[in-house]
Amino acid sequence: MEILAGSISAGLLIGMVFALVALGLTIVFGVMDIVNFAHGEFLMIGMYTALLTSQATGMDPLLTLPVAGVVGYLLGIVCYTGFVKYLLRGPMVAQLLGTFGLMLVLRNLALLFFGSEDRTIHKGILVNRSIELFMGVRVPVTKLAAAALSVIAFVLIWLLINRTRIGKALLATALNAQGARYMGISTERMNTFAWGIGGATVTIAGALLANFWSFTPYVGLLFTMIAFTIVALGGFGSIPGAFVAGILVGFITEIPGFWDYLTYLSGQRWMAKVPMSSFKYTGVYLAYFMIMLIRPRGLFGWKT
Amino acid sequence: MVLLEADKITKRFGGLVANDSISFEVKNGELLGLIGPNGAGKTTLFNCISGAHQIDSGRILFDGKDITKLNSYEVARLGLARTFQIYVASGDLNVLENIMVGCFMRTSSTAKAKSMAEAVLKELELTDIAKSMMNELPVAVQKRVTMATALGTSPKLLLLDEVAAGLNPSEIENIMTVIRYIHEKMGITVVLIEHVMEMVMKLSQRVIVLDYGKKIAEGDPSSVVRHPDVIRAYLGERYAREYAATRPDSGA
Amino acid sequence: MEDLKNAFDFSDFPRIDLIVAGAVLIFLFGFPLFPHSSFAMSTMIQFLMFSLYAMGWNTIGGFGGQVDLGQAQYLGIGAYTTAIMLVRWDTPFWISMPVGILMSVIWSFIIGYPLFRLKGHYFAIASIAASLVLKDIFEVWEFVGAARGIEILSMKYSPPDFMRLIFKEDIYYYFVILLFFIIGLLILNAFRKSRLGFQLRSIRDNEDVARSLGINVQWAKMKTYAIATAMISATGAFHACYIKNIEPEDTMSLDLSILIALMAMLGGSGSLWGPIIGAAVLVPLKSYLKALLGAASGMVGIDLIFYGGIIMLISAIEPKGIWGIVEKRRRRRRN
Repeated sequence: MEILAGSISAGLLIGMVFALVALGLTIVFGVMDIVNFAHGEFLMIGMYTALLTSQATGMDPLLTLPVAGVVGYLLGIVCYTGFVKYLLRGPMVAQLLGTFGLMLVLRNLALLFFGSEDRTIHKGILVNRSIELFMGVRVPVTKLAAAALSVIAFVLIWLLINRTRIGKALLATALNAQGARYMGISTERMNTFAWGIGGATVTIAGALLANFWSFTPYVGLLFTMIAFTIVALGGFGSIPGAFVAGILVGFITEIPGFWDYLTYLSGQRWMAKVPMSSFKYTGVYLAYFMIMLIRPRGLFGWKT
Repeated sequence: MVLLEADKITKRFGGLVANDSISFEVKNGELLGLIGPNGAGKTTLFNCISGAHQIDSGRILFDGKDITKLNSYEVARLGLARTFQIYVASGDLNVLENIMVGCFMRTSSTAKAKSMAEAVLKELELTDIAKSMMNELPVAVQKRVTMATALGTSPKLLLLDEVAAGLNPSEIENIMTVIRYIHEKMGITVVLIEHVMEMVMKLSQRVIVLDYGKKIAEGDPSSVVRHPDVIRAYLGERYAREYAATRPDSGA
Repeated sequence: MEDLKNAFDFSDFPRIDLIVAGAVLIFLFGFPLFPHSSFAMSTMIQFLMFSLYAMGWNTIGGFGGQVDLGQAQYLGIGAYTTAIMLVRWDTPFWISMPVGILMSVIWSFIIGYPLFRLKGHYFAIASIAASLVLKDIFEVWEFVGAARGIEILSMKYSPPDFMRLIFKEDIYYYFVILLFFIIGLLILNAFRKSRLGFQLRSIRDNEDVARSLGINVQWAKMKTYAIATAMISATGAFHACYIKNIEPEDTMSLDLSILIALMAMLGGSGSLWGPIIGAAVLVPLKSYLKALLGAASGMVGIDLIFYGGIIMLISAIEPKGIWGIVEKRRRRRRN
């Protein structure tokens, strides 16, 4: 029972962070119908930003979030104005492979500069502490804080888009770019802004994850796939959808571990021979496949 | 003999009823005009007939077969061809190759498809531009090529969706000659959607008028333009007066 | 029969193309007869292999415009089938390769059916997801050696073994893959002019129009996908015998799938020569960069930075690749 509660709370917490990971992707897709394969690489850069900033300044890793956000915002804007803008003229094939190229460049630059060793953040006030939630379910404080901060960031972005002038302009461009242009909203500016926001949110998510996730420059692809799954499940372009779907995907990643525990308890050795937890993320890929087939519009989707 | 029979076709998009219980038939060898204001559901009706949309209720018979549930490629194979309103081929197929794609519906041999396509080109007097790319051609010629592509499938019935849109008067004259040729010399039954009234009046033997997804009138061209509902919904008083002035002899 | 005739018919190309192609072919046959380094030899073999992969991708991705980013899984199926059948049951290559092709084609139909209900980005991402699922399975599946992979021990055999394709000298491998290369080129040439080839090009242009011309779009895509996977799987089988040590990470990775797509796109997707041009540019570049900078200096992945940069440039400037530039020039000169 505790294990079930533990699995659920772990899934819930990580799911909240996943939602923030996917937020930027869904905004960019909503505004301009382009998918960014380098999304996970932005996250990876957020992780290294948190690590290096806290190492260099001795700051607590959690305090590096603003730095990560600024880095991500600038990175997003640079990528858009310097590169992605030119892809939009070409066919879809070019857009797809173009952001793939960006992914390869970012990943391998990181490899060049940061090396391929596994990194983790060892310091910080929250590291290695855990807290009892209820019924003996203990969760690491880092995860709890990351989840809480993710939700805060998520709500802030949601408010930014729904309550501010520029946010509404962004929304208008997403709904009907041509119509928005007639109202004097520059599509170009909105695209740039969307990439900035997209970059900032995902690097912040990366900085949060860095507190409990060991990482290498290769970590990006996994998160790109996770983000794609969430966006597909929640509906391409839907912000509330991304939140709900993020949590669902969080649960999906916890299922294999829970299953292994059950087989361990049941004493069925043959079932435990191949631990299901090796398939922790296979479930995510499968989920993407299934969602696209059953309901391509996702749970809250308005773009098809 | 009836070639196409549409029986109470209804198509909804969410709350919008794009085609509301539309019934009509097309006789073998006929040239039928389909008119109506923008958004009346004309193109939707083409999409329903050709199988691009699945209809919500009703029944469609083509050449004696029930095609209600068929996919568009299956309908095409039975001999129902169509053109598209907004379509500029941007790919790397040249004019001849574009038409060959249609011919491949009837043969699997490349050589045979090529000779079939060349025959179609010759009939529509397009042989000179066989090797040109679509995007290098003027719009009027592109329209003829799209018709030729549809003809490549050797259809019994050809649905033409606004082939005269955006053309100047002399180009319209030209395309009318082509349509007449297809209808009379090649013996293909034609249904055309058109906004250019002059063309509809001159070409069609019969006209159907749609408005807000409903059929509001049907009959020979001269009586349809006098129909009060058609004047109100689509043509306007002025057109009716002008038409009456140019054709004083054409009816009671 | 007509397809066979079409395969050998290159008459629609301008004479200059045929002269260049003939010269390249003579070079390919003559190359091993002249003194060469083993490095040059392995680069040439890699070039021929990647040309074949890219040719396979070009059918569905280039002519059909379906950006498949999971082709490495078929390379893996081909390679693993041959390696396993050889190591476990001592099966000759010429039997295991067709078995591998058969398995790839069956698998391509199983996942192709759902895949091709998707379009555009959704299709591309789903093709990645599908191949990653297969790779994850191979990484824990004991029968296929899990993450360690499978090793073909050449000392167990007595090279040159033409049945099992185990050789000591690379020159044998070179001529085998050259034979594959020529067959692949002929297949692609026949495909280009076949009904299916025309249908795919029409589908890339506009699926609604294609359907209105009587094309069963889903089925046409699945058939082409099967052709692509067959070519890639056959080359994958060769890969197993040539490399002799296969792991999920280097036979089924996403990077490999991207590389395959990239070569076709760089050279010019949807053309006969494109994949070969792409491979001719990228494979030597990759080999020389690796040799030059290499793991020795700790510069891992620098070749991939170049790759990424090239992909970015190509997709932003000329999505039709090198061959697209040539065609554009020719067209301008003619008009």
